[in-house]
Amino acid sequence: MSLLKAKSPRIREKRLDTLNAWLGDTAAAIAEFSGEDTVQRIRTFSQGAQDDLLYVLRLLAGIRNSVTIIHAPRGCAAAGLYHQVTSGRGHWIVSNLDQRDTIMGADRKLRKAVTAAHRQYRPEVIFIVASPVTAINNDDIQAVVEELHEELELPVVPVYVTGFASRNAVTGYDIALHSILKHSGGDRRVHQRSSKVNLLSVVEHPADRFEAERLLSSLGVDLNILPDGASSKTFRLATEARLSLSLDQDSENYLGVILRDEYRVPYIEQPRPVGVEATGRWLVAAGRALGIEDAASVLHEQESERVRRELGDFSLEGVRVYLALSPATAFAVADLVGEFGGEVAGITVSHLDKLHTARLEVLSRRSPALQLHVADGQPFEELNIVRRIAPDIYLGDAAHLGQVGRLGIPVVSLENTPVLGYNGVTGLARSLSLALRNRSFGAALAGIPTSYTGAWYRRSPNWHIKKEVR
Amino acid sequence: MSNHIDGSRNSCALHGALQLIEAIEGAVPVIHSNAGCGYQHFLGVNRLNAGGDAFGGPPVSSSNISEKHVVFGGSSRLREQLKNTIQVVEGDLYFIVSGCSTEMVGDDIPAMTKEGRDQNFPVIYANTPGFRGDVHHGYQLAVKALVEQLPDLLKAGRTRTAGQVNLWGVIPHQDPFWAGNLEEIGRLLEGIGLKPNLLLGYGQDVNGWHKVPDADLNIAVSIWGETPAKLLEERYGTPALTLEGLPVGAAAGRMLLAVSEKLGIDRERTESFVRSEENRLNRHLAALADTYYRAGFQLEFALVGESAQVVGLSEFLTSTLGLIPRTLVITDNPSEEAKATLQSLLAALVEGWGTELSFSEDHIEISGLIRSGGAGLVLGSALEEQVAVELGLPFLQVSFPLSGRVVINRGYAGYKGASSLLEDLGSVILSHALRADISSQDKHSRSGTVFYT
Repeated sequence: MSLLKAKSPRIREKRLDTLNAWLGDTAAAIAEFSGEDTVQRIRTFSQGAQDDLLYVLRLLAGIRNSVTIIHAPRGCAAAGLYHQVTSGRGHWIVSNLDQRDTIMGADRKLRKAVTAAHRQYRPEVIFIVASPVTAINNDDIQAVVEELHEELELPVVPVYVTGFASRNAVTGYDIALHSILKHSGGDRRVHQRSSKVNLLSVVEHPADRFEAERLLSSLGVDLNILPDGASSKTFRLATEARLSLSLDQDSENYLGVILRDEYRVPYIEQPRPVGVEATGRWLVAAGRALGIEDAASVLHEQESERVRRELGDFSLEGVRVYLALSPATAFAVADLVGEFGGEVAGITVSHLDKLHTARLEVLSRRSPALQLHVADGQPFEELNIVRRIAPDIYLGDAAHLGQVGRLGIPVVSLENTPVLGYNGVTGLARSLSLALRNRSFGAALAGIPTSYTGAWYRRSPNWHIKKEVR
Repeated sequence: MSNHIDGSRNSCALHGALQLIEAIEGAVPVIHSNAGCGYQHFLGVNRLNAGGDAFGGPPVSSSNISEKHVVFGGSSRLREQLKNTIQVVEGDLYFIVSGCSTEMVGDDIPAMTKEGRDQNFPVIYANTPGFRGDVHHGYQLAVKALVEQLPDLLKAGRTRTAGQVNLWGVIPHQDPFWAGNLEEIGRLLEGIGLKPNLLLGYGQDVNGWHKVPDADLNIAVSIWGETPAKLLEERYGTPALTLEGLPVGAAAGRMLLAVSEKLGIDRERTESFVRSEENRLNRHLAALADTYYRAGFQLEFALVGESAQVVGLSEFLTSTLGLIPRTLVITDNPSEEAKATLQSLLAALVEGWGTELSFSEDHIEISGLIRSGGAGLVLGSALEEQVAVELGLPFLQVSFPLSGRVVINRGYAGYKGASSLLEDLGSVILSHALRADISSQDKHSRSGTVFYT
């Protein structure tokens, strides 16, 4: 049966045994995924974190000519406001459910919002994003979708998130991609092949997308980039493409798999092109799949020569680095830290699952004692760990770097910093060298106490992580 | 029935409560909801006030309920989370706030609070699901919880401070200038010999909240301060004074005189303080005069913001700076009764200028009002920037949400705030003129190049 038949995809915990709470060394991490059933962990103390709704909104912000209606009480649209005013992306309407709506349902209100969105923006597609409230009271979104889809003659795409079904926010990317493909993916029986190549780019930094595009375009590859900056047409074209190239398996995996299994578009999975070596491997793998391996190798030689020149004598020799990133980025940046001659002192990843076993094995061979921490937005654990490890520098992409800064160590944010390709290498080297050269801001912040008790810092960092009892 | 909103700027009750709690030193919010609620607040409120983040990231405690809690109830999860929050997070007061899902499921939050209290934990709660209302509502719910539940927590007797004045109705972050505004109003009250109890911001801890019942006067700086003031009047008989709006410039002097009269303070002393403040502001106005005339500061303006801001800023811009109010949009959803009061107040203020006053929180509707209004200057939130750019008008971000602007301790209230407003508005008008000048020179030089080739 087609995966797309379902209302929404299976959550990451079920599909890939994804963990969001864990602490141990790399060998133990591999063991977690080697058995039949991975035991889920829960936290007995937790801090606010991203959820599937937030990831859905982040992904939809990048869809061209679209309007997103968040079918929820007003606060669920706060992240939409954030995307709108910080990057000018997306049109966001909240159906603004009140107390009565939570009991009586609010399909009339939703219908009004969709019609108003259509009138105001004349979009190519309207997304209706569900929410915890509509998941609990089971509001009939489907009826509105079917009725207005015909009446307005435009795709009205329901996106069924709950905010609580999965502990892994990354499930949200799967849900959004599932919904888009289900409704605008085109006929699955037709398998015409075009010359286009899909570049799977999910909420990448625009500069990162341009870097990947720059490299592939210079090899003459005809790219179809999605979902970032994609329109409905891009998704239709994607189903006819020659193959799909990956940029970040964590976020794009579901899209690559659906295009492969449902539309027979080969999916070339490669670790993120971060660092000179990995970028070379990524580029050559793409070249091999497209029959232009030699040209890809030549480009890699040229670009890596340029990077070597630009880096000069930059080195992380003797520098201990802590990484707190989404997993694919963390493993890739760990390699880059090695390329720079530095040492990875510890890693926090936002989740960990079966997609990572190969990377874990590499890491485990290289540094068997390396400690791996799995947490999304749990700075209380991270600060406890980082204080013990006392690294020379911290690289992270979470929203709590302001707390980490209070430990007095240099911090570099990758939340909004391009890292991909050859340009990513020089850019990151620049950020790292500046952070290590002048540490005064961290020193100034170190005077401010963190929010946690002395008793907590004396406890082991995984004190609140327990095996889930079913 | 409430309507859908395009580009909603008033977030929800839970977020309003969080905004208040995070602004009290030593108060720790404990969110009982799904994981994303606290994060939405961080992204959609704190981050849109660069410089508005108390803990260095998203809220420090959240029960992050999952499916099984939705099905079987999450009260036990809250019990566990509360107990562990007290062990992990430093705090003098733990404040449970609930989200939509736990309220729909019917978790017994008062019972969990009572359990905590029975173990001598300093815990209070407020039911703040987003479906109950917006940030303003959440602010009021949280204030009410503090006023009603804190007295039971206090063991030691309080020492009364004569001349204490509590300030209400300034909602942290929803007024991006809340911290600076409170400090300036506090400075002015101190200037006439009073002891302001700011309650929120730097150095404002739970002790200040314990002292709330001892005040001689409660001042409501916005309509959102009226409910707390009324509540305290009922409970403790404390008199209240409601300001017409944010007191900017001369309005601050009037506030001080009104307070003096209400509390029987020596009028002459107050007048002399007000005179010295006015003299300084007048010097600033005189210093600006040349630039004002040269760069054509006398513009018709559109102003979009919360009611207190719209009243306060437009009063100063109109009555002191000689600008003309063209379009005023109030975004904070006042009650029908408050709307009527605001309408008559602003009608008197802007009489004869042909000003259009509207109430809306819808981004598209507001942009339309600015477009049709024909002003030559726009003051509003980041959401209004687009239409200001489209119309080619100078634009100053003054209301929530902000982007491209860092506000840490700046304020527009009082006399110092009036001077800050002069600086910010003046800079915007000047740099707009400068850019226009450069681009027109560009055009000329380009046409020149064409001429010579």
